[in-house]
Amino acid sequence: MAEQNLWRSLRENEDPSTIRDQKMHEFQEGVTESFDPAGMSPLSRKQFLALLAASAAFATAGCTNYRDKGEIVPYTKKPEEIIPGVANFYASTCTGCAQRCGVLIKTREGRPVKIDGNPDHPVNAGSICARGQASILNLYDPSRLRTPRYGGASAKSGDLSWNQVDTDVVQRLAGCIRDQKQIILVVPPALSPSGAGVLADFRAACPSTRILTTDVFPQETRRRAWERCYGAVPLPVLAWDQARVLVTLEADPLGTEGFTVEQTRAFAAGRDVEATDRFSRLYSIEGNLSLTGANADYRLRLLPTLQRDLLLALLNEAGIRRRAVRIDNPVVERAAAGIDMASFSTAHGLSAATLAHMVDDLLANRGKGIVYAGDALPEETHVLANYLNELLGNTTLYVTSTVAPAFGISSAEDLASVVADMKAGRVGVVIHAGTNPVYHLPRDFGYADALKNVPLTICLTEAENETAQACTYMLPTHHALESWGDHRVRAGVYSLQQPVVAPLYATRQTEAVLLQWMAVIIPFNESAYLDYLKKKWETELFPRFGAKVDFATFWNSALHDGVAVAAEALPARGKFRADAIPSIEPDKAPAGYTLLLTQSPFVADGSFANNGWLQEIPHPVSKVVWDNYAALSPATAGELGVESNDLVDVTVEGRRQALPVFVQPGMADKVIAVALGYGRTNAGPVGTGVGTDATPLLTRAAFTGSRIIRGVTALKGGGRHELASTQEHHALDDTFVKDLHLKRKIIREATLAGYLKDPGFLERERKKHESISTEVEYHGVKWGMAIDLNKCTGCNACVAGCNVENNIPVVGKEQVQLGREMQWIRIDRYYSGTPDEPVTSHQPMLCQHCDNAPCENVCPVVATNHSPDGLNQMVYNRCVGTKYCSNNCPFKVRRFNFYNWRDHLAEGFYQQEPVNLLYNPEVTVRSRGVMEKCTFCVQRIMEARQHATEQGVEFAGKDVQTACQQACPAQAIVFGNTNDPQSAVARLREHPLGYHVLEELNVRPNVTYLARLRNIHSEKLA
Amino acid sequence: MEKPLYSLTALFSTPDALMHAVEATVKAGYTKYDVHSPYPVHGMERAMRLKTSPLGYFALAFGLLGAVSAVGFMTWVTLIDYPLVIGGKPFWSWPAFVPIAFEITVLLASVLTVVAMFVIFFKFPNNSHPLHDTPYMKRVSSDGFGISIQREDPLFDEAGVRQFLASVEGTDIAPVYFEEDPADHGQKLFDLRFVGLLAGVAIVVAGTTYFSLNSLMYVQPFSWMMEQAKQKPQAPSLLFKDGIGMRPPVQGSVARGFLPYAFKGRPEDAGKMLANPLLPTAAVLDRGRSSYLTFCSPCHGNFGRGDSRLAGQFPNPPTLHSEKVRNWPDGSLYHVITEGQNVMPSYAAQITRDNRWAVVHYIRVLQRAHFAKESDLK
Amino acid sequence: MSTAVVDYSREEPVIAGTPTAGEIDAVVSAPLDRLPARTWWIALSVTLTMLAIGGACVGATLWYGLGVWGVNQPVSWGIDIVNFVFWVGIGHAGTLISAILFLLRQRWRNGIARFAEAMTIFAVMCAGIFPLLHTGRQWLPLYLTPYPNQHALWVNFTSPLLWDVFAVSTYFTVSAVFWYLGLVPDLATLRDRTIQPVKKVVYSVLSLGWRHSNRHWHHFERAYLILAGFATPLVLSVHTIVSFDFAVSVIPGWHTTIFPPYFVAGAVFSGFAMVQNCLIVVRQMFDLKHLITLDTLEKMNKVMILTGSMVGYAYGMEFFIAWYSGSQFEMFVFVNRALGPYAWAYWTMVTCNVVFPQLFWFKRFRRSIPLMFVIAVLVNVGMWFERFVIVVTSLSRDFLPSSWGHYVPSMYDIGIFIGSLGLFFTLILLFVRTLPVISLAEIKAVSPGAQPGHH
Repeated sequence: MAEQNLWRSLRENEDPSTIRDQKMHEFQEGVTESFDPAGMSPLSRKQFLALLAASAAFATAGCTNYRDKGEIVPYTKKPEEIIPGVANFYASTCTGCAQRCGVLIKTREGRPVKIDGNPDHPVNAGSICARGQASILNLYDPSRLRTPRYGGASAKSGDLSWNQVDTDVVQRLAGCIRDQKQIILVVPPALSPSGAGVLADFRAACPSTRILTTDVFPQETRRRAWERCYGAVPLPVLAWDQARVLVTLEADPLGTEGFTVEQTRAFAAGRDVEATDRFSRLYSIEGNLSLTGANADYRLRLLPTLQRDLLLALLNEAGIRRRAVRIDNPVVERAAAGIDMASFSTAHGLSAATLAHMVDDLLANRGKGIVYAGDALPEETHVLANYLNELLGNTTLYVTSTVAPAFGISSAEDLASVVADMKAGRVGVVIHAGTNPVYHLPRDFGYADALKNVPLTICLTEAENETAQACTYMLPTHHALESWGDHRVRAGVYSLQQPVVAPLYATRQTEAVLLQWMAVIIPFNESAYLDYLKKKWETELFPRFGAKVDFATFWNSALHDGVAVAAEALPARGKFRADAIPSIEPDKAPAGYTLLLTQSPFVADGSFANNGWLQEIPHPVSKVVWDNYAALSPATAGELGVESNDLVDVTVEGRRQALPVFVQPGMADKVIAVALGYGRTNAGPVGTGVGTDATPLLTRAAFTGSRIIRGVTALKGGGRHELASTQEHHALDDTFVKDLHLKRKIIREATLAGYLKDPGFLERERKKHESISTEVEYHGVKWGMAIDLNKCTGCNACVAGCNVENNIPVVGKEQVQLGREMQWIRIDRYYSGTPDEPVTSHQPMLCQHCDNAPCENVCPVVATNHSPDGLNQMVYNRCVGTKYCSNNCPFKVRRFNFYNWRDHLAEGFYQQEPVNLLYNPEVTVRSRGVMEKCTFCVQRIMEARQHATEQGVEFAGKDVQTACQQACPAQAIVFGNTNDPQSAVARLREHPLGYHVLEELNVRPNVTYLARLRNIHSEKLA
Repeated sequence: MEKPLYSLTALFSTPDALMHAVEATVKAGYTKYDVHSPYPVHGMERAMRLKTSPLGYFALAFGLLGAVSAVGFMTWVTLIDYPLVIGGKPFWSWPAFVPIAFEITVLLASVLTVVAMFVIFFKFPNNSHPLHDTPYMKRVSSDGFGISIQREDPLFDEAGVRQFLASVEGTDIAPVYFEEDPADHGQKLFDLRFVGLLAGVAIVVAGTTYFSLNSLMYVQPFSWMMEQAKQKPQAPSLLFKDGIGMRPPVQGSVARGFLPYAFKGRPEDAGKMLANPLLPTAAVLDRGRSSYLTFCSPCHGNFGRGDSRLAGQFPNPPTLHSEKVRNWPDGSLYHVITEGQNVMPSYAAQITRDNRWAVVHYIRVLQRAHFAKESDLK
Repeated sequence: MSTAVVDYSREEPVIAGTPTAGEIDAVVSAPLDRLPARTWWIALSVTLTMLAIGGACVGATLWYGLGVWGVNQPVSWGIDIVNFVFWVGIGHAGTLISAILFLLRQRWRNGIARFAEAMTIFAVMCAGIFPLLHTGRQWLPLYLTPYPNQHALWVNFTSPLLWDVFAVSTYFTVSAVFWYLGLVPDLATLRDRTIQPVKKVVYSVLSLGWRHSNRHWHHFERAYLILAGFATPLVLSVHTIVSFDFAVSVIPGWHTTIFPPYFVAGAVFSGFAMVQNCLIVVRQMFDLKHLITLDTLEKMNKVMILTGSMVGYAYGMEFFIAWYSGSQFEMFVFVNRALGPYAWAYWTMVTCNVVFPQLFWFKRFRRSIPLMFVIAVLVNVGMWFERFVIVVTSLSRDFLPSSWGHYVPSMYDIGIFIGSLGLFFTLILLFVRTLPVISLAEIKAVSPGAQPGHH
């Protein structure tokens, strides 16, 4: 071997070139013929490495990032109350509707970012409706009027200055006064003492002024009936929480009628599972499935036109057959005698048993019952309802009195005469102050045409609308959050309104404008109205309070609290007047269908049409978004040969309107229910053309009278209109999917009687789930939520609250149709029973923050995982958007940004200034491609933690409120630290009615639901 | 000079013939030879007396490497580096590691084995082997079978081998030579073309990196949620004419918890009517202390002796231990902090109302400490 | 045994006739040397058009976002994932043929192994597109790999999606290596055949200097055996892991233990069908009828009938287990599949996958080229729908009736699917022009008289 080696090495010595050659040669002879070495790359390995190094060096050089991160702009003079990054709260008043709820406005660095209820306010006690919460979007609506502009009626167009307007208007007004021309002031109901004062002063200054008060949803029939019964006193406020038996006739006190927030709270208080002895029972008799009906223990379908006869039948049963009450009114007695309960119930297919129960309950709970007739019903029915309550002694529940607007709602006659005057040229100036009559007055007034004959028409409005379009000037007014004001909400209860931000644009407050036009001082004085307000209080109102302190202190503390209460005597209600019921004619219903014009709980009279958030909140019952529709019962739909999304032509007094059909289980046959407030033609990029305008179907009489229009003709129309809904609709009679929510134990229900007999019925069937791995333990604070299905009415206030708190985007109708709505909390609505007599269940559904969250296992990038305090958290900037978590979520509560939504809707409408001021600075504005879901308002939790740390105390997890909890008028949502045995949530988790949805999956949700108890005369559910 | 010889090659027509030849070669004691055929001929390694290929052990080693490193890494991540509660599972959920561990094992084992074979066993890539581009190779790579006996074989002598190959019925017996080397083209590191190229590359690389990091990253569709459409504190805003995003509160409005100070310009009333709402707990005193040291100490000195750190650039404030101040009620101290006094400005904007009261407590502590009594020591 | 040498003695010939090694070289490398026929150009233009359509749709998806697809809540995975599973499935035949059949000493595989492997690689490429594209933020695929980053987060090792990342990439790499290993000797042969200098350079580089030395063959065969050994469990693991994407979830219709074997069988099934389709065309195009014989195709039909029946069994078993489990959710899902809104998809699947392949019980049908072609196509359709049924029906109606939804793929979804088909066939077309579609060394080794008679 050695030899060999040696020999071998010798050979190498002989001829080292061979080795070198072998190394040198890339290719052998023949391969390389075609190219000569000279042509080869001149790059040696050394050079190549040098190149590599150089490029690396330059690459790092190129990595420097010079992007401008923006500048920091501090306060020049920092106000005492503001610390950047810390929120301030201002008490004020919501002017969204006649309820005038007290609100607490959250501001950041002097900009409002959220509106919540004022806990100190007697009416709404800390919560407000969806509309009130979402109204902040109107402040930042990019399509708001920013400067005075010429309207469509003017020859010129474009912007103009307030001074021009002032000078011109003041002259014209003077002109009118000189040559006896009328000045028409069209205003909403005036509930503000000072506001009313300004109007009065204006009328004094310009004697030829006529003030018209219009409201699309006045309670006129109710009010007139009340005055017929008890004289000219304002309507009472009912103590719903003290009532054991509630009977609503075509009424929706939980949805759209009266003080819904207060009524919801009171109703929920009467459904407290921890006080089952005072559990109330709700009967709903109605033709349209209202939210109240959906929450009823007993619900009967009845044509709205028959409500009067029902009342007579009740009187007959109670007064004549049973002689339980003494009918002291001959007219009623005569009329009631003709209608006995038995034949009435058989004639109209009502359950005799239920009616019997109802009468029993009413008689058994005298003074603890309410028979409540709906706003839509005619005067006569209301009178009879009042009479029945009188007989039953339920008047004890009329606790305090509401406030009538300073100037009564103008009657149809007033309106007609004004229009006539306008046509006849007897009107010089028309000023619309926050009203939109061109859109919402019945077409047969011919208001729009009449306006053309008026030389000067003015519209004071926040955003362009139909009336503004028809006026000479459209003048921008403050949003409520920029305005001062005072509101009398109850006898002796005054709610104050203060601005939380200086006007964003060249806007003025309506009252200030009127003051300006009375007293011809130019330039305009910004604080004109504030001075007026304070003066009025100091001189007129302050004395009533008998306060010990000086006015300044009183005023400041009133502003601080947002509400001031004076000891005012209730207006004395007279005895029930015998002549209230002159006569009762037997009712001969005309042929055809009955049209019921209802109110949308979200867009109201259409003034919120441009509010995407509100448009996208699902209708509480039908779950339809971005639309109104003609609701028909399945039978009626069959009769007309239409189904959902078909068009139906409805004709009233020769005015035809095609409406999309929505087949609504639980409707009475031959009834068509349509919501007003849709189909705006000039409401801004979002609201224009959403839904169908039902105003053409509104008759002159119905505008201030009953909203039930009889003898309507309806025919199948051509074409379709796809309605968007957040919940698939299944045929209730399809046995395959029928009652799945009960079979799958998503909704647990029992009857009150059944529960009292056997409280443990849920525990007994609960199985212990073993886990193959050891459970993770949570020390310290662990978050959990409990939702009481007995209290939840499905009003959707929580949805709105969550939207605002968590920067939830608006996606638009098309995307909802595709199933891409973004709301983090939703109210699931399930029907059981038959299509004609459905039983409705509501269930707020949000991220359940499961201990064994299935979504977490499957995320490849740990973008969703568990926090030490038991939250299922989302790391947005880590999420790549596989959507696997959403697939694996049994509750389907995760939401995905399929687009950059803000950029997507209406040509990026919500991408424009100043919408960015709207967003909660503490919450990420999620971009496209990211998964999101309920966080249990982690930003609030963190704020509370931070506060505790500042105070140097240990964080106990007390008094953290989630946005939905804060918003819930029924207080159905409880949130807190489940590791703290004292906490309410810990108590409710252990409640015998507490259950988790889909328990058998053993995902261990942290949201506990309290099973719904139906208060019916049986231990078994029907 | 004539080319150096590499080997002598012979071709055979059939696998059987080849097999015989190989056996003969081995018998003849040649060791530096090789057999070539277009496909593996069955039984050849036995005929050539080759040892079993050790590749199996390589595969095993690489496989183990993969398995161990995979499991090790996952364990480190989930137990040591960043333990996270995921779906309520234990941190170290080993069953979930199986798939990945398996895949890594297979990956390393198979890929590295092949690489090892080529690089270690075959010394590939090697296109400069003398056998390449010989008529011999052209045949054996298609349909021929051949033997090549190399010159480095100890028994090699050209004539003998020729004769031997002929004796085993080898045809086309031919020599294979090493190649002559072509001219070597060395380069200079600093010739212009190269430096130019270097500069070019540098500019391109730096340019593209800069572009992609500062522009490309921010165009549609990319989004990193770094800029969000929300108004952060102290950020500018285009909406307001002054360009400032933070707005002052509206004149006359009253925020919760911020009733206007009632004793503007009325120190005596403040002294009489204001009482300290806080209890002097440790936490409160801490807050007071930090506020005091931040805002008060620059002038009043860390212990309130009025020994300003501004050393005379500024009228020294009176000591806080004076008779007057000690006898002041809390309210007066609070009033002075709130409203200021003489040259001292108002600290209302800097110190929250709570903390002002905490500072008052702390000042009391300082005074007490300054005039400590025997009893305090106990 | 000491060596990996396969016992090729005494078996019926795999290839028709007795072509000499030279002839084999000639016939196989013929398409590489001559210019493509017109038919090839037409085919290529078609596939490129499809590819372009796909490209456009991908562009739109990247620019506007996933919104352009049909996906929604609750169906957040649509035909994107269907396509992914479909393509991965196709990819299985190749490795199966080259590895498992190799271990099982199935000599008839030699004629088709090379092609099948190529198909595997292309199919996995197509599959790879979809997981990348279906994420909402397609520019962050790096997050799916465990690298130190500013989030200080690693990846979630319990997520089946992450297992996918590893499984699919490993599968791709190993298949590629396996394929290339087999190619090296053939490339060397081509290197020595070709006369064009450029080709010569390319082949020389690619063949790494292979010399057909038996000292090398000796290691080569061992390496090939080892790779086959590793590839076999790998190929089974890959679709098992893909099936975990569903089996590991809690969604009724997904949460099923039968999935792994069921998916693997289905994968082989569809893979063979696809190989069948392509081979029938290729052997026609380049007259390789005597190398890829009818017997070979028939054998593949037999495999298809086997796997097809396994799949059919799985369908039945799913229903049985759903009933037997007593879980109302499970029962609902399966009844819903057969009778619900997506019943049409379900029945398409059953007919194509279970009914039609049964024709192969008859030798006459097994050996009829046109019929087997049609059935293979139907099988691919059926298997695509199987994935559709699994993914979509389960999601569209899961636990809470309140959040049920309906899924309809958008034109972009379909465009991208077309694009993936385009990519696949484009690659196939390029492959048959540039590399030997049949493994020269392997086919020579099994041609008559290739091996010494005695010994």
